[in-house]
Amino acid sequence: MNRKDNILKIHNLEIGYEVKRNKNNVLFTDINLTGNSGELIALVGKNGIGKSTLLRNIAGLQRAFQGEILYFDKPKDIYSRGEFARLISFVSTEILNVSNLRVFDLVSLGRFPHTNWLGKLKEKDISRSLQALDMVGMQDFKNKNVNEISDGERQRVMIARTLAQNTKMIVLDEPTAFLDLPNKYEIVHLLNSLSKNEHKTIIFSTHDLNIAIQEADKIWLMLDDKIVEGAPEDLILNDTFNHIFENSSLNFDKIKGDFRMKRKHTEKIGLIGEGSYYTWTKKALERLNFSVEKGNESIRHIKVYTEQEQVVWELIPKEHQHLFNNIYDLSLYLKS
Amino acid sequence: MLNRRHLILIWIILSLLLTALFVLDIILGSVQISVKEVFNVLFTNNTDHPEYSTILYRFRLPKALTALFAGFALSVSGLQMQTVFRNPLAGPFVLGISAGASLGVALLVMGLSAFTVVSEIGVLGNWSVVTAAWLGSGLILFLILAVSARLKDIMTILILGIMFGSATSALVNILQYFSNESMLKAFIVWTMGSLGGVSLSQLNVLIPSVIIGLIISFLLIKVLNAMLVGENYARSMGLNIRLSRIFIFFSTSLLAGTVTAFCGPIGFIGIAVPHIARIVFKTANHKILLPGTMLIGGIVLLLSDIISQLPGYEKTLPINSITALVGIPIVIWIIIRNQKMSTIS
Repeated sequence: MNRKDNILKIHNLEIGYEVKRNKNNVLFTDINLTGNSGELIALVGKNGIGKSTLLRNIAGLQRAFQGEILYFDKPKDIYSRGEFARLISFVSTEILNVSNLRVFDLVSLGRFPHTNWLGKLKEKDISRSLQALDMVGMQDFKNKNVNEISDGERQRVMIARTLAQNTKMIVLDEPTAFLDLPNKYEIVHLLNSLSKNEHKTIIFSTHDLNIAIQEADKIWLMLDDKIVEGAPEDLILNDTFNHIFENSSLNFDKIKGDFRMKRKHTEKIGLIGEGSYYTWTKKALERLNFSVEKGNESIRHIKVYTEQEQVVWELIPKEHQHLFNNIYDLSLYLKS
Repeated sequence: MLNRRHLILIWIILSLLLTALFVLDIILGSVQISVKEVFNVLFTNNTDHPEYSTILYRFRLPKALTALFAGFALSVSGLQMQTVFRNPLAGPFVLGISAGASLGVALLVMGLSAFTVVSEIGVLGNWSVVTAAWLGSGLILFLILAVSARLKDIMTILILGIMFGSATSALVNILQYFSNESMLKAFIVWTMGSLGGVSLSQLNVLIPSVIIGLIISFLLIKVLNAMLVGENYARSMGLNIRLSRIFIFFSTSLLAGTVTAFCGPIGFIGIAVPHIARIVFKTANHKILLPGTMLIGGIVLLLSDIISQLPGYEKTLPINSITALVGIPIVIWIIIRNQKMSTIS
């Protein structure tokens, strides 16, 4: 797709919320971003920086103070309510808990902008809703009540509702917030495949950076003073990620693609060993604020080796206890 | 969710029940009139008891019709409020409609008596009372609409409705404090509610008003369904929230305001009946829930009316006490049942 064919263009946007009449609390200024067809975009930034506000602006639920958002090169006002609702759909952070609401009824609500004023579901609306449930793998749940299913299942149903709405763009505010780890990965992966197979532009905010790095085509990174966009790999390679939590105790590990606590190392220790035993022993030692030096035998050091099919951690030079059968015992001794 | 055959069966049962209770409400009373006599009076005009004609046309039939339409109106407006506010304990009067109506009536009954000597306390079923109550609830509706156009958060409107209601109640209390005994009693009797005070000519106003309110409500089925998931989602699906609120509030005021004007503030029906309908139909879809709530509303109020006139006795009990005694156990049951769930609508 050509760069000129941006489905979404955000130009010099200033966002925030109205505190009182004529008094605005500006959260972020000078936002310039783009979104293309078939693209999964992850919006990343720390709490309170304005991610939700930006998403609500894009979804047309809130007005910006300045600047403009162009959808297919036209501002929102050009579109009627119905047209706009057929262009972009939204999933909020709110956990929906309506009793007696069937999964199918919830998903078919997505047909709202496509049905007549009585809301009558035609053949096409029903098949489109069922197809949407199929796409998120929830076809067997259509007759269940929405408050009887798990959080991960409910999130899938909410995504199915946007698919029934059949929009070119989908905006989701922290879709992975309440989910366990496998569900987090599955939901973002689902969004990725929807963006590719259905050629949709999907924008979601998240705090799960490593998942975003793996699945998103583009990251919108909200830093304290500016917002940067780019492929996750580009942002890693040019050190941009390190600026997210600039004043915190986190460091971005370029090789692992994840954040680590910055540690103040107090004491040096040598470590000799191989493979995963070396790696995890090193992690444990770092947690105890040791600065680990690989293979250094000239200072106090630890040797990990296997003896008679039993792994042994040996502390050298000998102290009153120097052989350990697991890392926990070793760390207990080192702490005492 | 029920399958189609179940659903049809429930519709048939409810319709039969409604018809049976309507007939029963006409037959039962301090004077027992047999079904045959009722039929004779109403359809052949050939009866041995000419006084039955008076009883049926002047009292029984208007009362049964009032119970039927008041039941429809109160329960449907209650359902609308529960959906819009996404609150299981909302009812037709959360907007302060009944408080507004009672302020109107209180001003008329007690305010007027402070200046003029009112000899007859023909309070119930009096056109001036109806007009005063209507004006009072209309004023509250106007305030709510003016405020709701400015407010984004629907919960603020709920709180404001309750505040308006409390403020008007306070004004009513002041009026009560300064009014004389007979006026006070007249007002208290009005607040107890009555289905029996509506004349045939007043039914010509009550029934069309309720029908208009119900028609608006049925046209809002799609809107109400969208509101189930909250205003944010509704807006993201292309709903004009402000306009929808205006229509819903207007229809609620028309339904609840009219009934309150003619019958006094009848409580609990509006809160309890939508929940009974949810239990019976096991759905949140207003396409089924709205007509279902309407039918059950008619059934419950007709039943309450039959109980209140204590068949076989001379006396009748105030309808408000009966609806409360029927409604309170349901409301308590809802609270206990929903402790696990945060929001229900």
